[in-house]
Amino acid sequence: MLQVDSVVKSFDDFKAVNGATLAVEKGEIVAVIGPNGAGKTTLFNLITGALKRDKGRIIFKGEDISELPPYEICKKGISRSYQIVNIFPRLTVFRNVQVAVLSQQRRSKQLFRPAKNMVVKETNNILESVGLLDKTHSIAGSLSHGDQKILEIAIALGNEPELLILDEPTAGMSPEETSATMELIKRLAQMRGLTILFCEHDMDIVFSIAKSIMVMHQGRTLIQGKPEEVRNNPIVQEAYLGVE
Amino acid sequence: MDISAFSSQFLVGLSRAMILFIVCGGLSFVLGVLRVPNIAHGSLYMIGAFATFTLTKLIPGPVGFWIALIVAPLLVALISLIAERALFCHLYQREHLMLLLFTFAISLILGDLVKIVWGPEYRSVSPPALLKGSISIFGASLPRYNLFLIIIGPLVAIALWLFTNKTKIGKISRAAAVDREMVGVLGINVSWVFAVAFVIGCYLAGVGGALVAPTASIVLGMDHSLIIEAFLIVTIGGLGNMWGALVGSLIFGVTQSMGVLIWPQFTIVFPYVAVVVVLLLRPKGLLKSVW
Amino acid sequence: MFNEIIRSKWFGPSIVIFLILFILPLFIPRFYTYILALIYVTSLLAMSLNLVVGHGGMFQFHHGVFYGVGAYTVALMLKKTTLPMWTGFIAGPIVAAIIGLIIGWFCVRLTRLYFGMLQISLGSLIWVIVFRWYSFTGGDDGIPGIPMPPLLSSLKNSYYFILIMLVICLILMYMILKSPFGSTLQAIRDNPQRCEAIGINVRRYQLIAIVIATFFAGVAGVLFVVLERSVFTDLLFWVLSLEIFIMCLFGGWFTFAGPILGAAIIVALRTFVGIFTEYWTLILGIMLILLIFFLPEGVMGYFEKIFKPRTREAAEGGNR
Repeated sequence: MLQVDSVVKSFDDFKAVNGATLAVEKGEIVAVIGPNGAGKTTLFNLITGALKRDKGRIIFKGEDISELPPYEICKKGISRSYQIVNIFPRLTVFRNVQVAVLSQQRRSKQLFRPAKNMVVKETNNILESVGLLDKTHSIAGSLSHGDQKILEIAIALGNEPELLILDEPTAGMSPEETSATMELIKRLAQMRGLTILFCEHDMDIVFSIAKSIMVMHQGRTLIQGKPEEVRNNPIVQEAYLGVE
Repeated sequence: MDISAFSSQFLVGLSRAMILFIVCGGLSFVLGVLRVPNIAHGSLYMIGAFATFTLTKLIPGPVGFWIALIVAPLLVALISLIAERALFCHLYQREHLMLLLFTFAISLILGDLVKIVWGPEYRSVSPPALLKGSISIFGASLPRYNLFLIIIGPLVAIALWLFTNKTKIGKISRAAAVDREMVGVLGINVSWVFAVAFVIGCYLAGVGGALVAPTASIVLGMDHSLIIEAFLIVTIGGLGNMWGALVGSLIFGVTQSMGVLIWPQFTIVFPYVAVVVVLLLRPKGLLKSVW
Repeated sequence: MFNEIIRSKWFGPSIVIFLILFILPLFIPRFYTYILALIYVTSLLAMSLNLVVGHGGMFQFHHGVFYGVGAYTVALMLKKTTLPMWTGFIAGPIVAAIIGLIIGWFCVRLTRLYFGMLQISLGSLIWVIVFRWYSFTGGDDGIPGIPMPPLLSSLKNSYYFILIMLVICLILMYMILKSPFGSTLQAIRDNPQRCEAIGINVRRYQLIAIVIATFFAGVAGVLFVVLERSVFTDLLFWVLSLEIFIMCLFGGWFTFAGPILGAAIIVALRTFVGIFTEYWTLILGIMLILLIFFLPEGVMGYFEKIFKPRTREAAEGGNR
């Protein structure tokens, strides 16, 4: 579904991504791992169009999306959540998700009808499936950190994506919140037939839920393969996991 | 076209650009370090001019002007120091929009204070005897005072460059422009750095006002017309970039005076058109912004 | 949509206020009628600015230009052409919106301070051309003695016309802010990057918002001419633009009607303080400083904080 081919991105002289390759099959859950600074978030930014790559190609469902702006890429079916909470702090939880759903349904430009009653069912649906239905009228900025991270995901779901990219979805969460969130993600993937690409630092999570793991180091892809392959690979062990 | 008219206009434009540069250099410096466009800069310029008028009246003879040239900017610097320590410094944590509106409020207050102290009439100052009259350069006739300005301008530029690159305070200011948090972490009192930068920038506005006094009518409203020109110059030069302020001032000053030769009625439009052209091609300014 | 308006809790009080304002000219001296009308015109202008500043988050630093363009358009058409007068009234906002589209198109490609500075320079170019083009625009003398249709010849009639236009525009603005477009615009204000990621072409929405706002500014310009029968270059000068900004700040720029309150306060104070002293600018400067230090949410924002503690406290707490 998604194919990233030898993508390179530099900032002045610093090569943040230096030959990253990734393949994601439809319906899979794929993880990208690597130490801090390996280029994972930059890679996600490149895929979603927030940054333009210098070299290489990004192909989604057979189409080259390397040159498209973020809002076009979203319309193709890719949605993402952010590592550092990136919601609409002044709006209510409901409106946070609603604005994404409205965009999805191409109704955002309507000028003379009240938004209050639009897409209520779909929005509540999403809020219910992530467990935020009881907080719909709270101001998003007032939620706990964990809830805000979940709202992150809910907003991304508003666009009915086929590919959902999650950048460290459990960062800063307590262990209970973390396992709850991962359960949620697995459930959502099944229920909505989502393909998921995520990155995480918690290795337990990664190895328990991902079907395929891509390892990045200093901007390059070391290897991509099934969890056991990656775990046993000597290069990966040396560079990242530490020789056992 | 008459070559002497051409060169005389060019030199007049150059001298006007020098005054603009001195004022805009200060504005750019403050903009770079504090990241706030100081709208009160125009009012301080105006106070510099009016103060020069008063001082030349109090101290007759040529020495009056030279003393005014030293004292008026110091007075302006003092006013800016008071405003900064009493009020401005408490706002450094707030959003930049609030700081900008604060400087607007100060400009309103200072504008009316000038009206209260000096009244609404036009004032004028004549240049000191040393600089009266004209001199002939490249066949063109140029007022001596304008030649004086053309010489002073680069001197101020050099002084400002030495300050920001060779003195400790100057280097710290430059660092604070780029990363104020880092400077704070190094144990330096960022608030004092801002105060110094602000006062120096405003001092330059005072110098500009003192220098312009013999060449233009000193009148209420000169703050408003100056500040818009200064903003445009600083924008086309690159926000916070002192050399950019020089380039911008040259463009502005020269296009305006050359405009006289092309379309006298609309001479003042030329620099604005030049600014618009520059910004449409290079919206972030010609030289790199400090941030 | 009208159900929406009728059910809003402000509907009842608004009707009452409107009726009071409607019959007021019958009782109060001419001068007060004039001041009220001036407040209406200024309120409309401030509301139009707040569409892009308070609700859109853009640094619209030279909004006054569009007000002035609307005013000068209708002034020139009424004074210098023999076209039917109502064409001038319609042309004003349209020309303002076209200029808004042109200037806006260049500005939305930049962010924040650069947006504002580019707008100031483009707007100043228009100001300086109007200022100098004495033969066409009257230069810094302005254009006095603009003829009006017979229907608007009296102050009272002008008052009613302005009041009705204000109410119509306010209703339209309310609808726009409550619509999906308005919702999306506020989301863009809060987080433009995230909006791009959810499929919104942020620049296009900002441009549409600017065109709408400048259209309403043009309407305000037309109403100014109806009231004053003249135009001046001050309408295009940057100081006015910053004054409107201050009005929005004063009233509270995240609220709907804040700018109206801000405009009313400033116009009223300017008029009445001006009777006692010529140093109104000094007072305005001091008021602005007090506002910045003590009431950054504006007057209406402050009251909202008192009367809706749960929501705002939550917002304050969340934002820390």
